[in-house]
Amino acid sequence: MKTILLVLFASVLAVSCNNGNDNSTITDKNKDDTVTIRPDNSINPFDPTDISPMDMSYYPVDYPQMKMSKATTELPKARVIYSRPHLGGRRLFQNLLNYNEPWRLGANEATEIDFYKGVTIQNKKIKAGRYILYCIPEKENWTIVLNNNIDSWGLHPDASQDIARFQIPVTTTTSSLEFFTMYFKEKNNVTELVMAWDYLEARLPISF
Amino acid sequence: MKKIVVLASVFQLIFFSLLAQNSNIPPVDKSPMDMAYYPVNYPVLKIQDKLTEPLAARVIYSRPQKAGRTIFGSLVKYGEVWRLGANEATEIEFFKSVKIGGKKINKGRYTLYALVNENTWTIIVNKETDTWGSFKYDKAKDVVRKEVTVEKTDMSIESLSMLFEKATGGYNLIVAWDNVKVALPIIF
Repeated sequence: MKTILLVLFASVLAVSCNNGNDNSTITDKNKDDTVTIRPDNSINPFDPTDISPMDMSYYPVDYPQMKMSKATTELPKARVIYSRPHLGGRRLFQNLLNYNEPWRLGANEATEIDFYKGVTIQNKKIKAGRYILYCIPEKENWTIVLNNNIDSWGLHPDASQDIARFQIPVTTTTSSLEFFTMYFKEKNNVTELVMAWDYLEARLPISF
Repeated sequence: MKKIVVLASVFQLIFFSLLAQNSNIPPVDKSPMDMAYYPVNYPVLKIQDKLTEPLAARVIYSRPQKAGRTIFGSLVKYGEVWRLGANEATEIEFFKSVKIGGKKINKGRYTLYALVNENTWTIIVNKETDTWGSFKYDKAKDVVRKEVTVEKTDMSIESLSMLFEKATGGYNLIVAWDNVKVALPIIF
């Protein structure tokens, strides 16, 4: 066990050192924005799994598992479907994102939030339905945008389809998250959509 | 040096997934989720203004890996209802009504299962959505069952794959894994 811990420590150290010395090889910040069209005529038409795997988070938290164990009879209230890019040795605002530039909050297909019934966010009523989410990050705050351009790819911000914008503070965390992560969290009767990556975290309170 | 960096990254990933498991922060799934649309590549075509057909269907599923195992008749037992995915139950959404096996299916979300045999599969469309696996599969909530023929593929397919393809009068949902594939005809 000690050896494993040592190896882990060494690996984390090695990666951190690598960050410091070798930034030039990892500054392709547009890479995640590339539109990759799935090859229709490739020899094997069945795609490999995506580098940025898709994931889904429900509210109530872990709703499908709760439903399976019959711990709930209520309907789900929301879910978010997003793809999870990872840092791969890069740092978020040093290599990947720029302040004041819209960020897709994911990868591949546009990040989708589905409200099964109407919700209220920052005193604004949002109707039930599917929306895409994107973000305009600044140093102290992130602006989270709900937009109607669903079933789209990447981010083509069309402000005419914006439904609402919410400014929330961004905080730093004590440990880094390798993969971009979105999940719902209940805290003191407040439900928050948590968006976290690297050492940053922003929480959007939602009233159901 | 490169090798060391790769190894280190792998260890770091493991390290972070261990960290992630210690809280309620969701780690990256072993069987990653994916989605497929009909029209094929709808989201990309949409942003390129190249759409020629309206949005018809979307499937959301998780992709278990073969990882050297024999899948059909072994990992997936013949004659048993299989979840046709992993983790959250596989979901198909029709954005307008369709016909499967001669039965009209209203637009909306459904869960897909499959009853797998050596030469045929029965694809099951079920009303119980937002669920997990096939552990609570309830036949009473079936909307339609359609038997389809198993085809052998020339190559081994590592990850469970689903995609749509254009077909006469509609489109097919193709499901492929290991060395087999099936096509479920969906009629407009």
